[in-house]
Formats: sequence, structure tokens, C-alpha cells
Amino acid sequence: MTTAAVEARIGQGPLLRRLLRDSSVTVGGAVILLFVLTAIFAPVLAALEGQDPYTYHLDTLGPDTAPAGFGGGISADHWLGVEPLTGRDMFAIVVFGARTSLLVGVAATIVSVLLGVLIGIVAGYFGGWTDRIISRVTDVVFGFPGLIFMITLGAVVPDSFPKPILLIIVIGFFGWPSIARVIRGQTLTLRERNYVVAARASGAGSGHILFSQLLPNLVATIIVFATISIPGKIGAEAALSFLGVGVPPPTPAWGRSIGEAINWISVDPMFLVVPGGALFLITLAFNLFGDGLRDVLDPRTVGSRA
Amino acid sequence: MRRRLAITAAAAAAAIVIAGCNANPTTPNNNSSAPAAKGGTLNILSSGTEMNFDPATSQSLAITSNGLVNRRLTAWQNGPGKPATVVPDLATDTGKASDGGKTWTFHLKPGLEFNDGTPITSEAIKYGVERSFAPELSGGLSYHKGLLVGGDSYKGPYSGKDLASIQTPDDNTIVFKLKVPYGDWPWIVSMPAFAPVEKSKDTKPAEYGKHPAASGPYMVESYQQGVAMTLTRNPHWKQSTDEVRVGGPDKIVFKLGQDDTVAAQTLISDNGDAKNSFGADFVPAAQLAQARNNPQVASRLVTSQPGAVNFVAMNTQRGALKNVKVRQALEYAIDRKAFIAASGGPVSGSPATTLITPGIAGRQEYDLYPAGEDGNVAKAKQLLAAAGHAHDLKFTLITSNDSMATAQAQAVEQGLERAGVKITLLPLDSNAVSERVTQGKGDYDMYLGSWQPDFPSPNANIEPLYDSSQIGNGGYNTSRYDNPAVDKAIEQATAEVDRAKAEQDWAAIDKQIMQDAPVIPVSYAKNSFLHGSNVQNFFIGAFPAYPNYLKVTLKQQ
Amino acid sequence: MTAVGAGVTSDRSRRVLAYLRFLAGRFGGMLLVLLIIALISYLIFYVLPSDPARLSCGRPCTPDRLAEARAFMGYDQSWWRQFLAYLVGIVAGRTFGSGPAAITCSAPCFGYSFRLNEPVTELILQRIPVTFSIAIGAAVLWLILGVSTGVVSALRRGSLIDRTLMTISIAGVSAPAYLAGLLGIFIFGFRLNMVPVSGYVPFTQSPVDWLWHLVLPWIVLALLNAAVYTRLTRGQMLDVLSEDYIRTARAKGLSERRTIGRHALRNVLIPVATVFGLDLGSLLGGVVITEKVFSMQGLGSLLLDAVGNLDLQVLVGVTLFSAFLIIIANFVVDISYGLLDPRIKAVTR
Repeated sequence: MTTAAVEARIGQGPLLRRLLRDSSVTVGGAVILLFVLTAIFAPVLAALEGQDPYTYHLDTLGPDTAPAGFGGGISADHWLGVEPLTGRDMFAIVVFGARTSLLVGVAATIVSVLLGVLIGIVAGYFGGWTDRIISRVTDVVFGFPGLIFMITLGAVVPDSFPKPILLIIVIGFFGWPSIARVIRGQTLTLRERNYVVAARASGAGSGHILFSQLLPNLVATIIVFATISIPGKIGAEAALSFLGVGVPPPTPAWGRSIGEAINWISVDPMFLVVPGGALFLITLAFNLFGDGLRDVLDPRTVGSRA
Repeated sequence: MRRRLAITAAAAAAAIVIAGCNANPTTPNNNSSAPAAKGGTLNILSSGTEMNFDPATSQSLAITSNGLVNRRLTAWQNGPGKPATVVPDLATDTGKASDGGKTWTFHLKPGLEFNDGTPITSEAIKYGVERSFAPELSGGLSYHKGLLVGGDSYKGPYSGKDLASIQTPDDNTIVFKLKVPYGDWPWIVSMPAFAPVEKSKDTKPAEYGKHPAASGPYMVESYQQGVAMTLTRNPHWKQSTDEVRVGGPDKIVFKLGQDDTVAAQTLISDNGDAKNSFGADFVPAAQLAQARNNPQVASRLVTSQPGAVNFVAMNTQRGALKNVKVRQALEYAIDRKAFIAASGGPVSGSPATTLITPGIAGRQEYDLYPAGEDGNVAKAKQLLAAAGHAHDLKFTLITSNDSMATAQAQAVEQGLERAGVKITLLPLDSNAVSERVTQGKGDYDMYLGSWQPDFPSPNANIEPLYDSSQIGNGGYNTSRYDNPAVDKAIEQATAEVDRAKAEQDWAAIDKQIMQDAPVIPVSYAKNSFLHGSNVQNFFIGAFPAYPNYLKVTLKQQ
Repeated sequence: MTAVGAGVTSDRSRRVLAYLRFLAGRFGGMLLVLLIIALISYLIFYVLPSDPARLSCGRPCTPDRLAEARAFMGYDQSWWRQFLAYLVGIVAGRTFGSGPAAITCSAPCFGYSFRLNEPVTELILQRIPVTFSIAIGAAVLWLILGVSTGVVSALRRGSLIDRTLMTISIAGVSAPAYLAGLLGIFIFGFRLNMVPVSGYVPFTQSPVDWLWHLVLPWIVLALLNAAVYTRLTRGQMLDVLSEDYIRTARAKGLSERRTIGRHALRNVLIPVATVFGLDLGSLLGGVVITEKVFSMQGLGSLLLDAVGNLDLQVLVGVTLFSAFLIIIANFVVDISYGLLDPRIKAVTR
């Protein structure tokens, strides 16, 4: 793709209109919006139903501690049934669980992106030894089995440190190398652009070049990458909760519910369907949205979608 | 005591009922008294990832895996629903006490041999016990180490020294000299460390456990680390000398690293090899529900009587919990019904109000703080207000982070919070939990623990948990309870050699401690295990709440 | 940089030397990275609040016995001394304790697990076949699956097939591996009784059983990871198809098959190979949960157990091995990238 062609494509029609025309973006975006609203208004939604995710309702359980009644205890009081062993309301658990997943997922992505962009730009722009050292450091971080370290750090850090923040930092930290690599690659290319060379020749400082010349041209990549990373981070939080080292109970977490629910599948399948379905949907939505966004914003793939 | 499942529970599975020796009354579970049949390969599914039969490093019960390979001076005899009694194993009787209970003498039965034909002598037993003192082999049950004279400073036979308090006047006699009179010594010598060890085979002590000299009906054939341990018959084991083991299957295979839910599902499905298998781990709550809905499966589910006690230990040396009135108020706030539901329902436990666990001779039932099945919140609030702490209490509750413990902890939390107390849960990895509550300075408020005594004596329920010498330093007095009057009473009861008098003393101590409410007993756990349709004579006695591996047999086709 | 003819032989040997120097530099860098990883691992696990010696302490565990256990395992030394001992052990082997009960761990000694009573090297060697069987089998499957669907998608761009395949691949990438795995076990294992539900059978023991036990993990992993390759291949393919030299080939009258097969695919496969190489390197991280779910005793479950049981030496040893794999993979990818891609080759000439 020649530079001219790239430039021409980006200018094709107002961005918003192009975004809205892409079905992945609209569908994905709508579902994401739905979940975000659910997470924000979780207490309101739960209050509508008249329940909260913490109260036990032992009277809804049968003698074998599985929920009595159809669909895992669906009733007017409990729209999505109840949890086995405790009788806690599943609808409330799911809407509050959205908070955990979204909070940790999005915040961890922000951490990754901030770190990754900074490191990537510096490595790409300055090159030479800086680049080499940073590349080795990137290798080091890539080399750690991230999941294991996330589990271990959960054990090391004192309990007074809030677990959600620890999760955000740790999950975010292990995500920066992939973004840094891409940014570095792009920076290497952009560095040779006419306007950058000209700015350098006319004596502009590195800081100025980095922030006002390079960064704006990377915005599209950054946004796309960030959106694409979110589902991975949400998945990481769910995996840690599944292994029992995520946010501590009784705070609702989809991953933990899935881990428990899988054992109950023969007796109470709804227990799995509800949080499992929610996790799947939100991951799918972010993937769709990110894909669509990339197709619209990233000049290289323009024309690759019908 | 906290039981590490899997490996410790994975013990002998087969012990053929010896005709005449132990006339079993007929029981409702029709698989538990079938005639002894020999043959077949038994599979035991376990979630543990390693296994070895070294007597020095073992903490297992006498009736589980280690007992298949290693015999001891005494053994446990139990039957379906019957409590365990100590009976002679390698010795001719359960020991003769002299010197007021400080000296114990045992004689060995004639004709005992290791799996290579070498005779078992008292020297071999002395060597086995001495070996357990070596730092390289620490890790096993260590009750004897503090009781034998000179045990505190002895470092094992590899340093070239022997332990003088174990005497072997001849090949068939062994004498133990204790520091204090100890009426329960016959139980102590049923522990793994008292298995004979063949010195000539102990060239690489760290690896002895992979191929030990066997005295029981089975010996190790092969071990694939983390995958399987295979036992085969020991040709030199004589049934006539052994009243607790049956030696039914020809081969026993422990399948390691099994996820406990998948293992339970496999046993429920009863396909292929699963017919000849049983599970070493407790059946998880979800599979319990599955089993109860299916009569064919329910007939293969064996549930123990109430056994280990689940309790909330309150740190009596910290903050508001120093006040006995606060602790007594919390005794009324606890919601036992929710706790039992969280554990898997009534099939998984019954409410607990005493410190001595069921199945122990001498236990007396009582309830000092009658609170009904789900607590008396009004009374709790009233007592808290009277103590001046109506609304300001905040405590952290430490628990292990496995799913059952977290579910139980949440039940405790919601129960106590009804009385206006704020509880924050702190689930930690089980090693971190032990570290926190058994070592260190006691920087925790509450701890959700469980305890099953290592041997069925009230002593094993009281002393390790409530004697002030067991605070910190690895001891299990997690409520940090320090009462000199109780310490004295414990000392007297320990020395009492008259069984009946001792039982009365211990029951009195139980009540005495509960007046101070250092812990909230919540429930007695009932453990359930599944077995395949070809497995017979699979039962759980009144104590311990684990199947007796030594008596299991397979149906012959 | 253009070499204009004179002294071709010395020119080539200079290039070879430069290349070797480059390799040596990279190799040295790799060692440095491994050293740093080992150091950080050691530090992090050393800082853990729980005492690994407790596991070997027995019940009841008195402070004396605990101190003895720690001294025996070498945990009573300062962390850098322990680290040094560990490094020396890698080269020269290591002995724990003294006298007849001493434990020797022969070189290369990546630590000794007191919990499992085996040297870490042994443990890793035993478990490599398991992890590699799962990961490489699944990887080959998802590569084939992903590339073929990507090519088909690109060739039939905009059609129903394209849309369906892309939707399936997005759905695949959105499902968590543990959920899919456990559902697979439940449906195909327990309900339909079609495949064994757990365990690994070595190839040498029974090739058929080996395959049968791996079918479910392979399919689950492949379905979830193929999507990345589908999209990558599709994107690359579409790019390449609009390039000039493809149009030239078509204009020359070459059959569609030859055009795609010979010209397009080669250039599509280069970035795919890069990503695949990097993926293989991080295979250890990917199979941890799979191994747990399918009860297979591979490196991933070894690591997971070691974390839960504070088996410090196993942790450091396996972390090093996993890091080694990733770095080697990166290294190989970098080198082969330089060797394969003609444009890069030209630049370094």
C-alpha cells in the first residue's frame, strides 16, 4: 500500500458513519454497552428484583442442597434461579459479577496499554542500545509463565492490599510486551517519515516529536489493540477466579461461579449457563467490536472485508 | 487434625473379612459383609500427586494405604459403624505397662518375615523408630518423639548413635521408656513410625519409601511418579498372624492426580475399570446430589458417621475476643444450618456442640449455648450489647481457599453478620494458613478449622488444641487458649492409666474448656465415598471417618 | 551496502563472521535473560510468607524440627547464597545434608523436590512427553485448521462461507478453555462415553490409547486457538492477493491453483510461521489449565502443584525451562525470519 493510497482511505467518509455501517461494530458495541450499563446499575437492577448477591435463601434448596424447582429455582423472586448450597440469587450474582469482570478487565488493559505504548515508543524511536535492552527486557517478561506468577503474587502480597487492585496490576503487567512490540514496529516505520525527519532536522526535541508527531499517528493502532486486549484480560481474571485466586468470596465473580458450576452440571445446569453465558457473551462482544474497529480504522486491512 | 486427603486416606483397600475372627453383624449396607474373596485388581482413585510408603514420613491413618504395606506393633480393628479398638499386630498383645505407665514392654509373634524372607526382629522396629528422628526424614506423625526419653535431642541413627530408651533385650522383645506416664501408648505404637525397617535396604534413606521392605500383605511393584503406584502380593505375609488385614485383591493400583470431580463422575458412571475402583477423596457436594437422585449410585455411596469437628477458633489473646462475653455471644450467633448446607447438606454433617468428637469412647453430649439449628440472633445481640460491643465488632476470618472451606466460611460470615458483627474473609492457600495460625505471633482474629484426632482417645482431641504448650511453634492451639487450671487437668488425665476414670476426666475437661468458649464448634463432618459395583466389604467404622482399606475385596466373576 | 565484485571470497567469509558474531551475541543475550529470570523467580518465591520447610516438618512441628528441616534443605541461608548454590548446582551437581542420608542431585541439577523426592531434572524429563504431546498436537491441528479456513475465507470473501467461518472463529476465541474442556469431558466423555475423560497414556505403551486420550484436549485447544490463525491468514491472504506480482501471474495465464499455491501462499505463510513459532514457545503457559482439567501430569500441572505446595526448587526449575523454550522459540523465529524473508536478506547483505 502506498502512502498516498493509505492517506486516501483514511479520509474516506466521516469516521462515525463508517463505524456504524460495520455490523460487527454495531452489534458488538451494543452488547458491550448493555453489559457496562448492567455493571454500573447493578445495585439498581438487583433492587428491582428485590434481592442481593449475599443473602442465603436455604428454603429454596431441596434436601440434596440443589435448588428446588425448574431451571435451577427460577421463580418470580429469583429470575435466574439460585445457587446450590447457599440459595443466593443468581441474577444478582451475575449483574454484580459484571462489575468485577469489567472493572478488572478494562483497568488491566489500561495498565498494559500505558506501559506498552511508553516502552514501545521509546524503543522504536531511540533505537540502538535502548532498543536492544528493552527488547531483552521484553523477552524476560514474555518468558515468565504469567499465570503462575499471578497465582504466586496473590499469595505473597499482604492481605491488607485490596485484591482487585493487585489483580489489575498483575494482569496488566503481563500484557504490555505484546502491545510494546507492535508499537515499536510501527514507530520504527513512522520514524522515517518525512515530517518526522524534517522536525528532527529543524531541531525539535525528542519529547516533542514523540508526543506531537508520532503518538497521534499511533492512536488508531492503540485503540484497536486496546479493544482487542480487553477480552483477554477479562478472560485472565476469570481464569484466576476459576483457580480460586481471584477476588475473594463472597464478592461475585463469574470465573469462580463457573468453576463451581461445572461440578453441578448434571444436577443444575442453569448454574453454569448463567455466568458461563455472560462471560462468553461479553468476550464475544469485545472481540466482534475490536475486529470491526480494526477493519475500519486500520488502513492496511481496508478492502479486506466485504 | 487437619487431614491431608488423598495420599493419607489412600490406604489399604482390601482386607478380607477373616472368617470367625471378627464376626460382623449384618448391616444395612449389603456390600460390607460379603464372604472373603481373593483375586482381581483394585484401583484407588486419588487426587494426590505423589505417594510413598516410608513409615518415617507418613501421617496416614492405620487403616489406610500405608497399612497395606507396613504392619506396626499394634493395629486398629473396626467394623461397619463400630468404633476402632487397638488390637495386637506384630506384637502378641497391646503392651504391658510397668513403672506407673512409664515403661511399656511388647513381645513379637513368632514367624514374622519381610517380603524377602528375612525375619522381622525387635531390632528392625527399633531401627524404624530411630530413623523417624532423622532430620532428612522428618514429616511424619511425631507423637512418640516427645514422649520417649532422650527423644528431644536425638537426631537419628545416621549420626551413628542409637536411642537408649528403646531397648531390645532379645530378638522378640522391645521395651520403651517414656518421660511421663502415658496411658494411650498402645495407640501410639500403631502409628507408621513403628513399622519394622530392614536396615540393609535402607542404603538411600530418602528413597526407601519407593521400595520399602514390606511386612504387610502387599509390597511395592512399581511407581510412576505422579501417575500410579502399583502394589502386588507379599508372599511372606501370613494371614494367620494378622487379624486386621484380609489381602483380597491380587494387585492394587493407586491412580494419582485425579481431579476429584472427574473421579467421582467416573465412579458414578461405573464403566469398565471403574467397577473395580473406589475413590480415596471425599465425594464433592455436587456429586453427592447426583448420587442421591439415582438409586443405583446411591447404593454405592458410603457415608461415615459424624467424625471430624469443624470449628471457628477465636483468638482469645486479641482485641475484643479477649472478652469471654463477646465469645459467648458469638456462640449464639452462628448459623449451623447454613454451614451444613454449604458443606453439602445433612448428608455431609450434623451440628456440633462438644469438643470431643463422636465415635470416641467417653464422649458426653451437651450443649452449653443452645442456639437452635440456625442460631439465636436475638440472644447474641443482647449479649453483645451487654458486653458493650453492640455495633463495633470487625473480625477477619482465615480459611483455606479450597471450594468447600470457602463455602463454609461464607456461611459462617453470613451467620455472624446477622448479629451486627462485620466479618472479612481471608482465603489463603493451606500452607499459608498453617503458617499463620500454628506459627508466628497470632496476628489473626478467627480461623475456620477442622480436627480429627490421630487416634481415638479424648486426649487426642483436647491436648493438641487446648493445652497452652501448643500455642504457636507448630502447635494446633489456634484459639491461643491459655488456662493453667485446664493444663493441670490435662496433665492428670493423660497420666491416668485406668481407662474408665480417664474417660470421665476428659468429659469434664471438655465442659470446662467450653465455659470459656475459645472456639465455636459448628458441625461434625460426615464423609462420603463412592465405590464401583464390584467392590465389596467397603465400609466406614464409627472412627475414623474413612473407609477401612485393609478389608476391601473384589467380587470374583 | 553493495559489494562491487572485488574479493568475493573474503567478502563472504566476512559476512559469515559477522553472522556468527551476531549469533553469539544473541546467544549471550539469551543466557543473560535466563539468568535474570532465575534471579527474579528465586526472589519472588523466597519472599513468600509461607515456609516451604513446614511441609517436611511432621506433626506436631516444633521449632527445633523446623530449623533442622530448613538447614537440611538449605533454606536457612541468605537468599543470594541459596541462589548461588542453585546456579553452581546447574553446572556441578549438588548434595543436600551429609552422611548416609544425604541426597545427591547430579549435574545438571535444577533443584530437588523434597515433596516428590526427585531431582527437578528428572521430573521435567518425565513430563515433557505429556506437555509436548498435548501442545504440539493441538498446535499442528490449529495451524492446519486456521490456515485452511483462512485461505478459504479469503478466496470466497464476502460469501456465506466467509461469514460463517469468521463467526465461528470469533466464537471460538471467546470461549474460555477450561469451560470448553470441562463441557467436552462431560458431553463426550461421561454422557456419550466416546472418549476417555482423563489421564495420559505414553505413546510407547500404546499408540492407539495415546491418541484416544489426546483427542478431546486437542480438539478443545485447537478450536479455541485456530481463530487467531484464521484471521491472520485471511488478512494476509487478502493483502497478498491484491499485490502486483499476483496480478502479473494471473495476467501471464497461470492457473489459479498455481498462483495461489506457489506465489501467494509462500508470502502468507511467513508471518503465520512467525506467530506460530512464538506461540509454540509459550506453549507451557497455555496448557496449564488444560492439564489440570484433563488430569494429565505434564509440566503445567507440575507447576500448578508446586505453587500450591511451595516447592521452591521445582518452581524455579520449571519456570527456567519454560522461559528457555520461549526464548529459544523467539531466537529461532528471528534467525529464520532473517534467512527466509528475501527483503530482509537483501538489507543485511
